[in-house]
Amino acid sequence: MRPFEYIQATVPAQAVATVTADPAADYVAGGTTQVDLMLKDGVLSPARLVDVTGLPLQWIAADAAVIRVGATTTMEELAADPTVSARLPFVRESLLRSASVQLRNMATIGGNLLQRTRCRYFRDPAVEACNKRRPGSGCAAVTGPARMHAIMGASPDCIALHASDLAVALVTLDTIVHILGPGGVRSVPLTEFYLEPDGSPDVENVLAHGELITDIEIPLLPEGARQTYLKVRDRTSYEFALASAAVAVVVEDKMIRDARIGLGGVGTIPWRAFDAEHVLRDAPASNESFRAAAEAAVRDPFTVPGTAFKVELAKRTLVRALQTVTGVTQ
Amino acid sequence: MTTTMEAVRLIGPGVDRVDGPLKVTGTAPYPADFGFPDMAHAALAHATVAAGRIRGIESAAAEAAPGVLAVITHRNAPHLTRGPDTPVWRQPPPPLQDDRILFYGQYVGVVVAETAEQATAAARLIEIDYEPAEPLLDLNDPRAEVVTDPWGMDAHRGDVAAGLASADITVDANYSTPDETNNPMGLFATVAAWDGDSLTVHDSTQWPHGVRAALAVAFGVPESGVRVLAPFVGGGFGAALRVWPHVLLTVLAARTAKRPVKLVLTRPEMFTGVGHRTRTVQHIRLGADRSGHLTVLDHEAKNSIAMEDDNYEPVATDSSWAYACPNVDVRDLQARLNIPYPTSMRAPGQAQGNFALESALDELSYATGVDPLELRLRNYAEIQPQLGLPWSSKALRACFEQGAERFGWHARDPRPRSMHDGSWLVGYGMAGVSFFWFQPPCQARASIRADGTAYVRSSATDIGTGTYTVMTQLSAELLGLRLDQVQFSLGDTDMPEGALEGGSGLTAALGTAVRAACRGVIQACLGTVKDDPGSPLRGCRLDEVTVADGHILHSYDPVRSESYADILARHGLDELTADGDSAPPEPQDVGMAPAGAFAARFVEVRVDPDLGLVRVARVVSAIDAGRILNGKTATSQITGGTVGGIGMALLEETVTDPGTGRITNANFGDYLVPVNADIPDLDVLFVGEPGRFNPIGVKGVGEVGLVGMAAAIANAVFHATGRRIRSLPITVDQLL
Repeated sequence: MRPFEYIQATVPAQAVATVTADPAADYVAGGTTQVDLMLKDGVLSPARLVDVTGLPLQWIAADAAVIRVGATTTMEELAADPTVSARLPFVRESLLRSASVQLRNMATIGGNLLQRTRCRYFRDPAVEACNKRRPGSGCAAVTGPARMHAIMGASPDCIALHASDLAVALVTLDTIVHILGPGGVRSVPLTEFYLEPDGSPDVENVLAHGELITDIEIPLLPEGARQTYLKVRDRTSYEFALASAAVAVVVEDKMIRDARIGLGGVGTIPWRAFDAEHVLRDAPASNESFRAAAEAAVRDPFTVPGTAFKVELAKRTLVRALQTVTGVTQ
Repeated sequence: MTTTMEAVRLIGPGVDRVDGPLKVTGTAPYPADFGFPDMAHAALAHATVAAGRIRGIESAAAEAAPGVLAVITHRNAPHLTRGPDTPVWRQPPPPLQDDRILFYGQYVGVVVAETAEQATAAARLIEIDYEPAEPLLDLNDPRAEVVTDPWGMDAHRGDVAAGLASADITVDANYSTPDETNNPMGLFATVAAWDGDSLTVHDSTQWPHGVRAALAVAFGVPESGVRVLAPFVGGGFGAALRVWPHVLLTVLAARTAKRPVKLVLTRPEMFTGVGHRTRTVQHIRLGADRSGHLTVLDHEAKNSIAMEDDNYEPVATDSSWAYACPNVDVRDLQARLNIPYPTSMRAPGQAQGNFALESALDELSYATGVDPLELRLRNYAEIQPQLGLPWSSKALRACFEQGAERFGWHARDPRPRSMHDGSWLVGYGMAGVSFFWFQPPCQARASIRADGTAYVRSSATDIGTGTYTVMTQLSAELLGLRLDQVQFSLGDTDMPEGALEGGSGLTAALGTAVRAACRGVIQACLGTVKDDPGSPLRGCRLDEVTVADGHILHSYDPVRSESYADILARHGLDELTADGDSAPPEPQDVGMAPAGAFAARFVEVRVDPDLGLVRVARVVSAIDAGRILNGKTATSQITGGTVGGIGMALLEETVTDPGTGRITNANFGDYLVPVNADIPDLDVLFVGEPGRFNPIGVKGVGEVGLVGMAAAIANAVFHATGRRIRSLPITVDQLL
């Protein structure tokens, strides 16, 4: 750990101005990613850390159509919100299957969306080849025992997984990210917020240095939409997903009228499976439809020996999630 | 004196831990909690190649960093002498002695600074230029040196080749287990302070006297001037048995900086610096007649060993005496690799070997059509087959029978995939365990004080196992005192030399020494009054008395009785003290094969066939561990071991990057151990009778609880799915 300056911000615009003006400055919220990367792993060494947990961003507001969530709301607070529980239970499930209650009491929603990959090649500065940490240096993980890595949006340049459960559910909901920058406020759909590594794995999202997520806006699903978040992992609790599926469907007369599908544990970014949604829309709720959707969801994966099993596991996970929400198992 | 054996119950009262209040109030002092005035802090720098040499070190930036007091590398480190060999292993090579790199993570420097943060920051500034060599990392690398019969324990009887040729049915299978890391919760810490040539060290150790001996040799100072303390240790599972390089470096840092120094390892350092369970590849061949009687048992196991080190890891050896079989050949091999120094991890060798043997027996049960439980009973070893001696005690048959009854084994439909619970496949699996016997020599001291209370002590440790509690109970029983009249202390080399806490042998070793010390102090009381006309015990011999309620009584004339307090008061004594020691007898001398614990494990699993998920639904463990001193702490030992066994079966694997030798999951987020949600109801029953190999009748419960779980779970997975998994851990990838 290198010594750093610690600033408790109270006004969002000042926080943004401080970080924007200093290339060596960074934000910290709950610290559940940042502290590991700074103190334990030695991957990040910002000279100045601006704590945003004192900003007035810890709130939840809902109306009939949307729920807005301030960026420093904790994961546990969002999971306990009555609107989320009633209208977006799969968001609640994605939160409660994340981390541990101790971490969820610290970790914020903004921080969760911005969490860094768990790739142990990224998180060890002694590893020289990491395009995410040292652009152009290569990727050591592709030849390693990379069981917890991505198969979608991956390439020989980078197979680092985005491990958020919450983001997988949110990405299916056309969530909007509200961002404060030095020039004011802008809004970006979550589906366009993350950037696949695609030649520059070090650039993970559309945020410019100094830009701050202030809140997110989640459109509610229609009443009666059936939802589930299924997370498959070795250990029953406190582990990242090997594969997960966030599924919301509207079924009428055994026909699927609307489908939202996100996959976790497989993508370099939280993976929205638009093709699978297209396959399901106006298709019968049947195992044939589910399997066809699964095939469409996991098309053209990039695998290494350690991750090859995830192709089939992700498909089966999605099929199981669709069976669960529709009640169709035959 | 009435011996404890005559009055003994099999299962002693489940007394709460006497150190419980200290632990739950956070006041039990663990090594990292100790400090000295003017103490400095150390941090370590590590090799980032697994083999080669250091060409150059750039340490100027570290030396100039804020707060830094010293930077020690091989260029300025003094000679350190390797610690003395122990009965079972050598101490690891001392650190910073030359420019060679033997494994990734090897210490290449230590930084001493005013604060721990400054030391850590400065250690990251040390830049090393390596001349790397190609490391040996693969157990099957033909270039690796292979050590055969490392401990002279390979065993042979009969004729395996002829037996295989004439066997009706054979099983021939390969099994493998991965590296695992002990992972005690408490980060290991060492606090060292010199005063001239005298040294005081607080250390996370399972063997304070072992640390004392190693440090005295390493630094060329008299053992009598070295004091090692470990009143509380945050777990060990074997990791704290050896005297690790970081302990030497902390002591060296204190000598160099001329200040007391504290070092607390990081979690990643706990993966490279304090040992691990070695990976194994194993080949088993069984031969049997059609009714399942074993005619051949051939077991070869290869595990890994570090450069310039050795490690006691008998994987195949114990298969030679687990079952009755006329033709047996068991062989252990070790391949020398560029890996961190291994160590014992709860049930070293046997945890891996039992997985292979008990899996192979399950395969034989399917090949012969004989129920797995019945198969084991048909091959029951009535005597110790390798020594040809009767067991000192063995209730494995009771383990099998009572465990099966409790579990409901006989409701099992043996056909794979035949049992269901909704969409989940249900599997029943079982395994037998014959655990080895181990008892190191041990000393203890007992005092009766003027107020009639007792103070009993030994330098042994309590790594969470319950030593404080069971030795308090045993002392109270042996002296006829209440628990609150006995103070038991440990973990200080100023006390008589306690045994290492390993091999499940401490309770037998220390308990026997405590018994001798307690008998000695009663003898001392009788000696004090032998010519005392005022004492009703005048002239009594030890074998004529018993003890109760703080009194010594004549066994057949209990009105002849006197309290300890009265004896000491009348003779003007502050205390009476006696030492006791223990050492196990030779089996041939007593005509018995020493028996460790036995166990039968019964497991029910649920498998999701589409998603490859395995969940353990329930476990019944029937244990013969001889006399149980405390039903509660012993159950806790078996429960904890079972959790470790579930981890071994389904989760644990230390993953090494094949190109570099770097461990890629050296933290608790990526190295998976079971969480509460993974653990179902664990039913433990103790059966059998007190052992006969020591006067207190105990056999040890520290490790047996882990053994057998991996095989029982793998066998249950086969029953559930029809898939035989021969490589641990059993994960989703293997079952899709």
